Amino acid sequence: MADTPPTGDNPYTQVHVVVAGDTLSKIAQKYYGDPSLYNQIFQANRDVLKDPNKIFPGQKLKIP
Amino acid sequence: MKKQFAWVLGAMMAMLLVACASQKGPAEQAVASAETALSAVADQAQKYVPDQYAAVQAQIASAKDSLAKGDYKAVLAAAPAITAAIGSLKDAAAAKAADAEAALSKAKDAWSSVSTDTPKMVEAIQTKVEVLSKSHHLPANISKDSLAAAKSGLDSIKATWADATAAATSGDYTGAMAKAQAVRDKAAEIMKSLGMGS
Repeated sequence: MADTPPTGDNPYTQVHVVVAGDTLSKIAQKYYGDPSLYNQIFQANRDVLKDPNKIFPGQKLKIP
Repeated sequence: MKKQFAWVLGAMMAMLLVACASQKGPAEQAVASAETALSAVADQAQKYVPDQYAAVQAQIASAKDSLAKGDYKAVLAAAPAITAAIGSLKDAAAAKAADAEAALSKAKDAWSSVSTDTPKMVEAIQTKVEVLSKSHHLPANISKDSLAAAKSGLDSIKATWADATAAATSGDYTGAMAKAQAVRDKAAEIMKSLGMGS
């Protein structure tokens, strides 16, 4: 997992660059301490994610 | 001999009276001119160099006092210094006014970008606080105390931001920028405490 400085629509929103092995639950665990909050990330990235189980390395996800 | 002396003394007194009377008009004119000149710069001077303005007022008051006592010579002697003081006052007030205008213009320019950017900082923090508040177990780098501090800090910066926008709306861009900077400093501090990066 790798995080980067904030970019995107709101420059102060964190962005996570997906790496191999990432899942939304793992990302939620990293940023929120709670994997069950994966849907927060999914909903914030509906413009690039169609399925919460399908994320790909290199994708930049907003972390609200 | 005594008659001659009395005549000479009388003539001298008369000459003195004439001399004094001849100074009255110029003295009155000098005081009037000083008051007119001071009045012309009063508004700007009172606003930007109040101490210097008060000092010139005191000089003119002293001259008026001399005039009232019939000491026209003193009035005329003081007149050049008063004229110079009014000139300096005018220059100083104009310089301060120009500085203030430049500062206001700079603050106004800065406000145009800050007023767009700062709400984004606040929004990002608000969203992060809302999501973290739903978490059953905060991440290792965020304590319950720091989240609680972030929540109260968020309320604080929202209030200060409201003050900043009100100041800008009233045309006080310098005050607005001072408040905006306080908001941004606090927001940056909160973002750091929530692990939101730089």
